[in-house]
Amino acid sequence: MSVLSRFMEQAKQRSLTVVLPEGQDDRIIAAARRMKDEGIASAVLLGDRQKIEAQASALGVGLDGIEIVDPAQSGKLDEYTAAYVKGRDLNPNVARRMVKRPLYFGGMMVAQGDAHSMVAGVAAPTAFVIQAGVLTVGLAEGIRTPSSFFLMIIPDFQGQKQKPFIYADCAVNIAPTPSELADIAIASEKSGRKLLPEEPRVALLSFSTKGSASHVNVDHVNEALVLVKQRAADLKIDGEFQADAAIIPSVGAKKVKQPSEVVGNANVLIFPDLNSGNIAYKLTQYMAGAKAIGPFLQGFAKPISDLSRGASVDDIVATTAICLAQV
Amino acid sequence: MAGDVRERVIKVVAETLNLEAGQIHDESKFVEDLGAESMQSVELIAAFEEEFDIEMDEEEALDVKTVGKAVDFIAAHLD
Repeated sequence: MSVLSRFMEQAKQRSLTVVLPEGQDDRIIAAARRMKDEGIASAVLLGDRQKIEAQASALGVGLDGIEIVDPAQSGKLDEYTAAYVKGRDLNPNVARRMVKRPLYFGGMMVAQGDAHSMVAGVAAPTAFVIQAGVLTVGLAEGIRTPSSFFLMIIPDFQGQKQKPFIYADCAVNIAPTPSELADIAIASEKSGRKLLPEEPRVALLSFSTKGSASHVNVDHVNEALVLVKQRAADLKIDGEFQADAAIIPSVGAKKVKQPSEVVGNANVLIFPDLNSGNIAYKLTQYMAGAKAIGPFLQGFAKPISDLSRGASVDDIVATTAICLAQV
Repeated sequence: MAGDVRERVIKVVAETLNLEAGQIHDESKFVEDLGAESMQSVELIAAFEEEFDIEMDEEEALDVKTVGKAVDFIAAHLD
């Protein structure tokens, strides 16, 4: 069974709810229908009811079993506004305006337990989805940096078929500080724990392996390693490693003499910056014929996901299934 | 009217970003000079909407970088 089908099947075993704030988008309406019909999730579409109904009817898609909520008319507006301002110095009228926005209303549904996850981004830029996530569901405990990851499926990795890896951060943080890199590593381990078939083993990648080169960029990665060990002592994480030492046991054994639970066997790869991460994922995708699924957002208190603006109905359904696997 | 809009814009910026009105000038940049993080920018837009009872396009509004430009942007919505 492909990795994707596994997540779809997993989702069918649970009855979870996803909120889709871009409810007027054709692809979102079609995806909501498919999720309902295939039993992957119950979808809540946000937006103007009449417009969504007209759009669905133009598409020839029935809406039975799909909930439509117009944030501006919702009976939950007071509750969500109160929760949004709680503990903050913010004018409640301003908060109410925020919560009426579909991305924020959707985020509050997740924050308040009325939906398990939010998937958005066919119209909204990634930065907007991240902002809404931070201000509604908030960041996970101990994490101060939202980030992203790709689930990479390598068709033939050293004789292993369909081998999954987590790559991070290939889409959001351009030049993470050591502290931000530590957050990315901790969040990626958590993502790996939900999505990988094996226990996550996190490698902090560099052009140097355990001091083979001296440079401020190498120090930077090592500072991140120290911070991760302080913040989350039980993580299986090591570095700094070159990519070959991280994933190939024979190379790792040659280059790294000290004992390590990660060397040669890493399945969560943390890149030092967006240059290396983004280049690596695209090269893996096209040169190794890998499937690159994502980017998914991580580091939030509850799972929310971004979509690319060009996402197809298939992409939206798959993203939702993987997002719900993290619930 | 522009003067009145300017005063109200400065009041909203001061309240939202916890600044003194005297620190805020036409040429002040929201992010670089006034320390508005991206999260606060979104709420600043909502605060302007509340103050002036208008609706602004979020993407267009986030392209407005200075206080002076915000005054012009909002004044255009009031016309």
